[in-house]
Amino acid sequence: MLDTGSVPERFARGWHCLGLATDLADGTPHGVEAFGGKLVVWSDTQGNINVLDGYCRHMGGDLTQGSVKGDEIACPFHDWRWGGDGKCKAIPYARRVPLRARTARYESVVRNGMLMIWHDAEGSPANHDILPPELEGIGTERYTDWTWNVLDVPTAHCGEIVDNVVDMAHFFYIHFAFPTNFRNVFEGHMATQFMESTGRPDMAGEGYGDEDLILKSEATYYGPSFMINWLETDYKGFLTKVILVNCHVPTGPNSFKLQYGLAVEKPDGLDDKTARYIAKKYSDMFGDGFLQDVHIWLNKAPVQNPLLCEEDGPVYQLRRWYEQFYVDAADVTDEMTERFEFEVDTTKANEFWRAEVEANLSRKAAEDATATT
Amino acid sequence: MAYIVPSSADTLEDQRLYTQARLTEVACLDCLARVGVKKNSEHHTSIQWHAESLAECTEFRRLDAAPTGRPIRASCPRMQASIDAAVRDGQLTIGAEDGY
Repeated sequence: MLDTGSVPERFARGWHCLGLATDLADGTPHGVEAFGGKLVVWSDTQGNINVLDGYCRHMGGDLTQGSVKGDEIACPFHDWRWGGDGKCKAIPYARRVPLRARTARYESVVRNGMLMIWHDAEGSPANHDILPPELEGIGTERYTDWTWNVLDVPTAHCGEIVDNVVDMAHFFYIHFAFPTNFRNVFEGHMATQFMESTGRPDMAGEGYGDEDLILKSEATYYGPSFMINWLETDYKGFLTKVILVNCHVPTGPNSFKLQYGLAVEKPDGLDDKTARYIAKKYSDMFGDGFLQDVHIWLNKAPVQNPLLCEEDGPVYQLRRWYEQFYVDAADVTDEMTERFEFEVDTTKANEFWRAEVEANLSRKAAEDATATT
Repeated sequence: MAYIVPSSADTLEDQRLYTQARLTEVACLDCLARVGVKKNSEHHTSIQWHAESLAECTEFRRLDAAPTGRPIRASCPRMQASIDAAVRDGQLTIGAEDGY
């Protein structure tokens, strides 16, 4: 019987990305739904981006509707001024600021042009050793600027998207590709998927379904929510290097926002406009792919005891790895972080899928022939 | 405060089955590393490392000393060769049991 279990009572420990720094550092306050509440994000006169609880510790005014005054965020309700360190700096009508006047603050770092914040239910200081790596060349002329898109997933736990790390077969059914090579490695705070795939000729134009498209993909989660996907694409002999970021922020116990951004290494001899066009094409393709996933998540049941066949990836080991972000730091076991490798045997699956695709193509050819006569 | 909060005791048994059952110990032919291995078919391999073994692996130590820019160590070719040898020697049997 399906064990649907229950949703975790807390949000994962680790770095979470709130968006592109350039979008958030425009001098105005931004509201970001996260961790069951709302955060206020603004940049001060030094250009530092600050993140605090979105509701004023005084009387609960919505700071995201306030204004930036100097380095501080001012509440629209009584004009209390909050600094990026979480301390109240001024109350214009008060004799003095109460010493206790502090609010919840999130440590933040801009990495690869993205605003990352640290979250831990236990309140530990941010661990900068486990930030995602700096991407060489990003932010320079070598790459296009990040594209950025956000999808709302209002009725599923973010663990559903993490499951995709090991889900070989869904690439055929949901994303219309043949995964010919599929490997996973989990170690420490990282979980990686290595995959090579080609598109399904019977699904031309949909998802990744273009038989001329060959993908070589290496995708790593750095912590619970932030994945960097290095892709080498080969389209009719035209090679492109793409970096895709797939990350999410939990908004409630059973909801999250999925964010994806993409940058393309500008091919030699191509002008910026064409490079941006290529980036947009790939961004649209992966965006369609994420929408296909979202449709599944919004309708499926959560499963704690998946029933697996030999062609499936290591779902249980992935979830064991993922659990390290949900338990107290003191309760992280060796099993959760020890290195684990898994290679899926894709030979039989591809044999059956090739036959299925051939049948689809013949049927379609027969239908087309009937339609024209 | 766990992530997986099963509502059935059978789920715990499933977790054990999929993560721990039928792991055969394979020793590296080149260093002191030992790993747990399961091979459901010729192309399938599941490898469970432990912290001590990982520290023993000379290949990974070499890779750590010369980082390629990405922190992920894809696999150890010596351990792969040792697993292939274990299969040839009949020490490691290939075969699946009902999907796990």
